[in-house]
Amino acid sequence: MIKKNYLLITPAIAVFIFLFVFPFIYFFMISLWKIKFYKLIRDYNLVNYNKAISNYIEIFITTYSVSIPVAIITTIIGFYYSYLARFKTGRYGLVMIFIALITLFGGYLMKIYAWKTILGNEGVINSILIYFHIIKEPLTFLLYTKVGLIITFVHFLLPFAILPTYASLRGVNANEIDSMKDLGAKFYHVQFMLFFQRCRIGVLASFVFCLLIVSGDFLTPFLIGGKITFIGNMIAPKFGQFFDWPLGSAMSFTMLTVSILIIAIVSYLFKLTDPK
Amino acid sequence: MKIQKNISIILAIILSFFLISPIFLVVLFAFTDRAIASFPIYNFSFKWWIEIFNHRQFLSCLNNSIIIGISVAVVSSITGTMAAIGLSKIPSKSASLILAIISIPIMLPPLVLGITLLTFYVSIGMKLGLHTVIISHLLFTQPFVILIIYSRMITFDYSVIDSARDLGASPLKAFFTITIPIIQPVVIGASLLAVALSIDDFIITFFTIGAGNTLPTLVFGMMRTSLKPEVNAIGTIILFMTISSSAIALWMTKYRG
Repeated sequence: MIKKNYLLITPAIAVFIFLFVFPFIYFFMISLWKIKFYKLIRDYNLVNYNKAISNYIEIFITTYSVSIPVAIITTIIGFYYSYLARFKTGRYGLVMIFIALITLFGGYLMKIYAWKTILGNEGVINSILIYFHIIKEPLTFLLYTKVGLIITFVHFLLPFAILPTYASLRGVNANEIDSMKDLGAKFYHVQFMLFFQRCRIGVLASFVFCLLIVSGDFLTPFLIGGKITFIGNMIAPKFGQFFDWPLGSAMSFTMLTVSILIIAIVSYLFKLTDPK
Repeated sequence: MKIQKNISIILAIILSFFLISPIFLVVLFAFTDRAIASFPIYNFSFKWWIEIFNHRQFLSCLNNSIIIGISVAVVSSITGTMAAIGLSKIPSKSASLILAIISIPIMLPPLVLGITLLTFYVSIGMKLGLHTVIISHLLFTQPFVILIIYSRMITFDYSVIDSARDLGASPLKAFFTITIPIIQPVVIGASLLAVALSIDDFIITFFTIGAGNTLPTLVFGMMRTSLKPEVNAIGTIILFMTISSSAIALWMTKYRG
């Protein structure tokens, strides 16, 4: 009987192994090879990693100087949104979650496009502000700047941050919060308890997801970032016009390693807030 | 206390507005006649809709998107339903471990997934095309499908199957006359979600399609050259397909996060 149950899982596992595990191992091996006259040479060494770090260090710094703030901001807003939906808005809370679910499953490219038209010099925000004579000249700090980039990322990732924190908050009873308040807890005590302790798994999941996705994105910086270049913008062309798979692969693995290190540090810091 | 409650509601409205308004604006500007998306809007028109239907590539891209979306949904609902049924019958600890492992591709940046698959297909000598996009999409639709059907299956009452078996139904007959009708709404819902995820995907499609185009890659091409307002019309079509299929999916599966 047990064998039959595992047999049912086999096709899904097969897809995972043949389309993810094998390609990923191969992709890692490429990072150790080199390229000569547009051909891959199987010559195992770490030259590409050296190049990835020394040539692109500044771009790595730019990438994480945006992705860490985005991950933190999105997680906090996402947590607060779930908190409002769970405890403060009654029946409207379900509508809030429905909005989050609807915006989750569609429109990656269209959201970026929408923000481009909202933030531009002749865009929605500037045209409204000029129409009502609030400003005379368009605000130029919105598009092709870090501000615009962060707004676009936070908007795109917010549903991904809301759902795991909301799932954690569903396990919290409103009575618990009331009794904390009766015992003299202030607003920030309650928030601290919920954010760091009761929702720890949801909050961490949202931070991890946001960090990995933002640090590996190349489309948003390309369309919204102006001169701001992410590491992804350097990786993508290595698989197209500037054929250099080994270096592109080494850059990808360097990026994943940095992200995982940041995640490890953040999870450690979260552990420190645990009173036990 | 009253003031605090009002502040909460105002914040909730502002945040919901922030989430939904960009999507709303794309749809709104698809029905205006101005070349630049800005306020105030003077005239509503179907100008851009007529233009996209005259666009050389539009219909073939729509066709490709639909072929990919439906194939991905069919395959991932089959592998997903089988896996979910299998997982619901094994201890929940190992089931959640397997679920977590299968979900790794969702956590990775799509760029990494896209280039990994591209290098793999090229190295094994597989020609790029719609079929490579379809199998690539399975990687990130399958985990969602399994998760949704699995959360239905763990509350499934297996005693009805046992009764059918006692009354002489073969295992296969019991499966098709009892299990399938009961879980059908969830399976259809989950596959609609797979359609939404597949039609919306740009990055993985971009790397694994080779020379062809889907609606998102067509939009990307248009966005790169200049801000053409037809983008709003095509975007509205993409949004309509993804949002309507996921809304129906959420309604059918009663999935609430």
